[in-house]
Amino acid sequence: MKAEAKVFAYLIPFFLLVGVIYAYFTGLSEWVGILGLLLTAVMTGFVAWFFWLSGRTVDARPEDNLEGEIADQAGDYGHFAPYSWWPLWLGLSTTVVVLGVAVGWWLTVVATPFLVVSILGWTFEYFRGEKAV
Amino acid sequence: MAIINSPDTQGATTSPRRPEDKDSFVRLAVKVLTTTDHKVIGNLYFVTTMAWFIVGGLMALIIRAELYTPGLQVVDNPDQFNQLFTMHGTIMLLMFATPLFAGFANALVPLQIGAPDVAFPRLNMLAYWMYFFGSLVAVGGFLTPGGAASFGWFAYQPLAGPTHSPGLGGDLWVLGLAVTGFATIFGAVNFITTIVCMRAPGMTMFRMPIFTWNILITSILVLMVFPVLAAAFFGMAADRIFGWHIYDPEYGGALLWQHLFWFFGHPEVYIIALPFFGIITEIIPVFSRKPIFGYKTLIFATMAIAALSVSVWAHHMYATGAILLEFFAIMTMLIAVPTGVKFFNWIGTMWKGSVKLDTPMLWAVGFLVTFLFGGLTGVILASPALDFQVTDSYFVVAHFHYVVFGTVVFAMFAGYYFWWPKLTGHMLNETWGKVHFWLLFLGFHGTFLIQHFLGVIGMPRRYADYMPEDGFTWMNQVSTVSSFVLAVSMLPFFYNVWQSFRTPKVTVDDPWGWGGSLEWATSCPPPRHNFDAIPRIRSERPVFDLHHPEVGTMESPEPDKSVAEELLGGPDTDPRGRVGTETGGRTGEER
Ligand code: HEM
Ligand SMILES: [Cu+2]
Repeated sequence: MKAEAKVFAYLIPFFLLVGVIYAYFTGLSEWVGILGLLLTAVMTGFVAWFFWLSGRTVDARPEDNLEGEIADQAGDYGHFAPYSWWPLWLGLSTTVVVLGVAVGWWLTVVATPFLVVSILGWTFEYFRGEKAV
Repeated sequence: MAIINSPDTQGATTSPRRPEDKDSFVRLAVKVLTTTDHKVIGNLYFVTTMAWFIVGGLMALIIRAELYTPGLQVVDNPDQFNQLFTMHGTIMLLMFATPLFAGFANALVPLQIGAPDVAFPRLNMLAYWMYFFGSLVAVGGFLTPGGAASFGWFAYQPLAGPTHSPGLGGDLWVLGLAVTGFATIFGAVNFITTIVCMRAPGMTMFRMPIFTWNILITSILVLMVFPVLAAAFFGMAADRIFGWHIYDPEYGGALLWQHLFWFFGHPEVYIIALPFFGIITEIIPVFSRKPIFGYKTLIFATMAIAALSVSVWAHHMYATGAILLEFFAIMTMLIAVPTGVKFFNWIGTMWKGSVKLDTPMLWAVGFLVTFLFGGLTGVILASPALDFQVTDSYFVVAHFHYVVFGTVVFAMFAGYYFWWPKLTGHMLNETWGKVHFWLLFLGFHGTFLIQHFLGVIGMPRRYADYMPEDGFTWMNQVSTVSSFVLAVSMLPFFYNVWQSFRTPKVTVDDPWGWGGSLEWATSCPPPRHNFDAIPRIRSERPVFDLHHPEVGTMESPEPDKSVAEELLGGPDTDPRGRVGTETGGRTGEER
């Protein structure tokens, strides 16, 4: 995971430096840019730290091995939903809830239960049934 | 549970939840609506973005028709004109170009890294649906009595606030775009996770195809700026709907909005550019019959462009007189350096290659020409002294169309012609492809080249009308006539698409014969979980190594690796170390 962590880590000094230069030359008068740049540094630092940490806790991965063989990855790969209705319902109900903010709260009120059901359905989809994990 | 070694590919069609008595159309519809297959989702993005491209293009044609002669002939009143250019810009950027990034990323990234799907298939589909419904909400403003949003795609405050632009159209615009913004963020999270966690063994980061690298970097950029846009939009919605005063000019709200918006807005143009640079970078080596020149420099240049693009936002605000001109001018001009590096690499790849102008390559060259021109006028606009003369004139309109049209549209068609067999299992016709290209190329340059001069003699952008005495007429007529040529160029494309489905299926994995990355190692189109077998990965073009073993390392002999070579050299092709191959790479033998 070294290269992945570095992609983000290299960005930290850049945004810190640019943020400080910007803060100095604007005389701390324009806060969108100062905060935006510095928080971007924080975000990249956070991701870099997380990748660095997971790189230390997981075993060496075949994809990081210059001589990795495809067979190195044999076995159970992971869980992939073969199909699902929930993205459609969740996307639709979210949009209608938001739409209600513009056209009238009654619509939001009507749509919120559907949103809740969609979230529950999404979350518990693979808790039971033939494809349960 | 779907496991890759025994993929549960039938799950989607044979599950008991799907009654057999439904006819096949319904079954197909259900299959598409509930799909979690990245290839199908990619195709959904392609179809939807093409539909929005047509809608946005038709709006542009109405605008151009209106500007053909002085006077209002086509639209009833200037407000309609304002709605048209606002929604044209919004649709083209946020419903066509940005989701097209997600479309190409979906269609190709898992294939290029040898993964069975993306990391979060359901989140992937949720992102698509939020984009789909959100964009309908935003454009739905046309159906309201007051019409759609008409304050320009960057919604400057207080013009876009409740006092100056009341009405449902603006509310729908901001809320709909907020929904599609989250769709983009979800997509980015998905692509980053996929690239970090799901590469095939041996696919180290520095063996990934450049396209995949660019998707990774674009996704990082999305994570940096789309949340800022969401925050800005929430504030705008609160002002408009709940009467807050976040963007009240009395408290500096006008500039607050511009800073927030452009902190998103400038990186956004790179979000819609970098993936398309990636497409071009995939195509040029294949049709130059050479490996990519300067693999690592390309990646570092892309990262530099992305990082710099976050620190140049206020070059859109020179005319406010309230920003740090020097800082933004210098940073903006700096971006020209890594962009120049990319051009250097692209040309270096073609240099002394055996360049074959098949349609994908033709479009790639069209991209190089067009984008280069847009970049040049970009450097002009980056200089405040020059920008003050032409800001908000047609010069700017010409500049950004050269940039966005060059990247998004030319590279999109390059990608379609190149990957059409991988997406559909059919080839597009070369002759029609060339007709399409030349019509579009001439139409495009006819429409926009002359707009530079229109801007220089003073025609402002976003005006519905001008006067005969202004002397703008004949140039506008050239532009309008060419824009209809540009529109007509879509007909050969659609004909070509329709015809392609009646051609025999492609039976080989790599119909171009010189493909390099992993998508060419599987059938056209690939099976449900992408690969029956993945070749060994020892370079950035495992499929080329597989299909052309005789070339081997001869093409890129490995000298001793110095520090510069380590940092700037080719991809990881010499696993054993820093000493190069014993044979000097001549025999292609691996040590
Ligand atoms: C299909 C060919 C196209 C034509 C003929 C066209 C034409 C136009 C015209 C006439 C305007 C209005 C200029 C004005 O009066 O201020 C405009 C604005 C704009 N166009 Fe295009 N365009 C095309 C494609 C695109 C594409 C592909 C994109 C982006 C990916 C794009 C992005 C924009 C933007 C952002 C604006 C500014 C909108 C605003 O002022 O708020 N256009 N275009
Ligand atoms: Cu910009």
